[in-house]
Amino acid sequence: MSRTKITAAIAAAALIALTGCGANASANNPASGDDFPKKGKSIDLIVAFGSGGAVDTAARLVQPILEKELGTNVEVINKPGAGGQIGYTALTGAKPDGYTIGATGSPSVVVSPLDPTRGAKYTRASFEPLGRQVIDPAVIAVQPDSPYKTLKDLLDAAKANPKSMTASTTGLQTGEHFALAQIQETTGSVFAPVHFSEGASQATTAFLGKHVDVLVANVSDVTDLTKQGKARVLGIMTAERSPSLPDVPTFKEAGYDVEAGTVRGYSAPAGLPDAIAKKLEAALQKAIEDPTVKEKMSALGLQTSYLSGTDYEKFWAGQEADFKKVLPLVQKKD
Amino acid sequence: MDTLNELLGGFATAMTWQNLLFAFLGCLLGTIIGVLPGVGPVAGVALLIPLTLNLDPAGSIIMLCAIFYGTQYGGTITSVLLNTPGEASSAITTIDGYAMTKLGRAGAALTLAAVGSFVGGTVATIGLVFAAKPLGELGLLVGPPEFFALMVVGISLLVALAGKSMVKAIISGALGLLISMVGIDPVAGAPRFTFGMDRLLDGVSFVAVIVGVFGLSEILSYRKNAETPLVHAPGMRSLLPTRTEWRRSTPAIARGTGVGFGLGLIPGMTGSVSSLLSYAAEKKFSRFRHQLGKGAVEGVAGPETANNAHANAALIPLFTLGIPASPTIAVLMGAFLQQGLTPGPALFTEHSEIAWAIIASLFIGNVLLLLLNVPLVGLWTSILRVPTPILTAVILLFMVIGAYTINFSVFDVFVMIGFGLLGLALRNLDIPLAPMVLTLVLGPLMERSLRESLEISQGDFSVFTSRPISAVLIGVGVLIICSPLLKFHKPKALTEDPEA
Amino acid sequence: MTTESLLTKPERAQRVAPSVLAGIGAFTAVGVYVLVSSVDLGLWTSLGPGPGLFPFAMGGVLVAMSALWLVQELRRPSEKAEGIDRGMVVSVVVSLVLLASVMDLLGFQLSMFLFLLYHLKLRGRRTWMTSVVIALAGSVGAFYAFNYGLNVALPVSAFTPLNLIGL
Repeated sequence: MSRTKITAAIAAAALIALTGCGANASANNPASGDDFPKKGKSIDLIVAFGSGGAVDTAARLVQPILEKELGTNVEVINKPGAGGQIGYTALTGAKPDGYTIGATGSPSVVVSPLDPTRGAKYTRASFEPLGRQVIDPAVIAVQPDSPYKTLKDLLDAAKANPKSMTASTTGLQTGEHFALAQIQETTGSVFAPVHFSEGASQATTAFLGKHVDVLVANVSDVTDLTKQGKARVLGIMTAERSPSLPDVPTFKEAGYDVEAGTVRGYSAPAGLPDAIAKKLEAALQKAIEDPTVKEKMSALGLQTSYLSGTDYEKFWAGQEADFKKVLPLVQKKD
Repeated sequence: MDTLNELLGGFATAMTWQNLLFAFLGCLLGTIIGVLPGVGPVAGVALLIPLTLNLDPAGSIIMLCAIFYGTQYGGTITSVLLNTPGEASSAITTIDGYAMTKLGRAGAALTLAAVGSFVGGTVATIGLVFAAKPLGELGLLVGPPEFFALMVVGISLLVALAGKSMVKAIISGALGLLISMVGIDPVAGAPRFTFGMDRLLDGVSFVAVIVGVFGLSEILSYRKNAETPLVHAPGMRSLLPTRTEWRRSTPAIARGTGVGFGLGLIPGMTGSVSSLLSYAAEKKFSRFRHQLGKGAVEGVAGPETANNAHANAALIPLFTLGIPASPTIAVLMGAFLQQGLTPGPALFTEHSEIAWAIIASLFIGNVLLLLLNVPLVGLWTSILRVPTPILTAVILLFMVIGAYTINFSVFDVFVMIGFGLLGLALRNLDIPLAPMVLTLVLGPLMERSLRESLEISQGDFSVFTSRPISAVLIGVGVLIICSPLLKFHKPKALTEDPEA
Repeated sequence: MTTESLLTKPERAQRVAPSVLAGIGAFTAVGVYVLVSSVDLGLWTSLGPGPGLFPFAMGGVLVAMSALWLVQELRRPSEKAEGIDRGMVVSVVVSLVLLASVMDLLGFQLSMFLFLLYHLKLRGRRTWMTSVVIALAGSVGAFYAFNYGLNVALPVSAFTPLNLIGL
């Protein structure tokens, strides 16, 4: 009786010790990256905007390929609010172990640390850029029954009666807010901005319900709306016309020198071990450049424009310098 | 036809063995929570959210929904067998349920309650299927000012119904809103009320607050020497109702379904209001009303049907407008948000597969509950025989794990302890907790819609009264808050309860 | 119900309970703090409604309701609440605080085992057999169930001899 008990105890102790060592062995050397990602442990992909916007859609397109490449679950987590700042705070506050990555979009991610009143806890150095996916130009659209048929009509009206029309943005100091500010700066047309800080899908819903007059958004947000005749896009803020909206004139064609848009990519919190960063970067490149993903992206009006982690970082730094100059346009003046 | 196809697709997702398992586990856990005195549905659902965080969104929400309506049924068991309601919404069932137990008809009472719950829940879910699309389209009419006004109505209804004093209920609601404001301002990005702590930038963790305020404070307020009650499971033979009992409960179940479904749609109504009004309806319309209180089946079948119909109908405003109708639904909405699903019209366009899978699982869950509960009554009652110290220890264990796993840090455990003490203080001051849960979830939504509204009107507060829909809603809210002044007294039975 | 309590005359000359006064005082203090700090946050900026606007309103509501409550109490003090089991509250709260403080150091399994043993054996007066079995299941069992079953990592000890044996 007592012998069996002792044997059982020893066996149990051995078992516990063995499993314990096993658990520790894998926990102690994360730097090698060989066992990344741990089987069955899912990777969180933080999207700093609400579901349904272009950032979210792109992330969800990339997700299944990432899962295949990395061999584990990738969960898209929406953390909307404060024009992206809440999600970016969560991303940079996470452990740099590769199990948390996030979609980063400029100007929001570039600008929020530049304005001291926002009290952002992160800077550019808090991110480890993994790859750029897409450039999404800004557009301006009105209700289908609006009296304004051309960009000039609209901007002249907004110039004659400043703040007589409301215009949506996806939050303070986001791409749309900058676009509005740049329009005001170059043309003198003033709209009253309404900030839907959860993201593009909330802004679009409010526009469809006719709660705002003018929709300022990205090409990808209005591609479907235009097809369904629910919005009339008057101008696109790039140098060239967009392939998905070939009939829409650029601001330049109409005689206004305004260029604006959103650039999106993926980043991890800084301090990621190199081996893990390489794995993630490679998987992301595969996913972003996957032909079916590209095809689906262009159906949404998004032209894929991949940049590697290092190049994305350089691009980011360049944007930072550019936006510093225009920041005062969208800061509060008290 | 389109709807039916999507529903069929939903069934295909919900019928995978994993999701069936989640629904089953949810029903099981929910019933246990319902049976356990002390752990109400709010704390129960909040406590189990961390368990589901690592599941995929569909599985996790399916499980939490199952837990949610499982609690509704579990509460019935203790009401009937012990004369102590496990949940507020089953309180009224004790009158005739316990009387039936004394007459030896406990089994029949439980079976009829289960069948009634099944009918009520299924009818309400059918309502959800057909209301979802049209209501979702109506959602476009709801701009920021209307959304704000709708939330004002919901909160004022809850405030008017909760507890004895409206002043205290408003304090509770305001506290919830203030707690929800901790962290980064959702519009301008400035940190608020974080006291310089980086941990608080993401806000106070919702789960830790709910588990503390509802769960821990409940344990802290246990009385000394609470005795373990003696219960005997009814024999299997008595589980089957007689033919007369079936015939008598049919109209009661029909009335209960109507009452529960109708009230479930209104934001701010809790399941207990439905069961109370259904009992009142039986008193008025039943042919056997003179027997109510002496063990009439109508007094069990009616209210139990009503609270389950209510529970399922309350998902309609959540799914279509993104507005939680009751504290428990608010917790459920918190879980949706943590899974990256924003309830509301967008749910059906962006995540229609998941949305329909959840709806399909509601049907499955109702069947599971029917199959699960009646034969397993013996098991449920044996849980009640577990001594209090063991229950307390196990519940504390789950609370600590639950709080820890939200962010994998002991910080949230401390948050939970702190809010447990706050909850205890509020209970001792007789301040109702229900309004706080609702406002905790609604806080960011309310603030955002308020600020968006004011941006639309460029600072003019009349935006809430100049638009017809929001003007009517705000008017209703003001009427509700002022109702005591106008001498619209709420029924006496309603003063005691809500879901806490 | 508000009017009733406002309009009914006091039946007996009772004093307001100190705990109620403390509660009212605390809510007023929180309300005032919120009012002051939300003015600092900015009620209105050149960009529209500011971060302080909504908190300001809530602070105001809290102060106003506390004042109303005080008036009600002065007219008709509420009945005394049932007493709480102070020993129970202290033991649960202190044990939880201790558990949370040492969990990262001792690891989940050891600290939870001691915590459960305290509640089951010392406070709950269960038999040794029951206490140890439940405490083991709740600590070691839960650790492995969560770690391997649900992929949820509970903390391991920070001390070398302990974490080497998997605690």
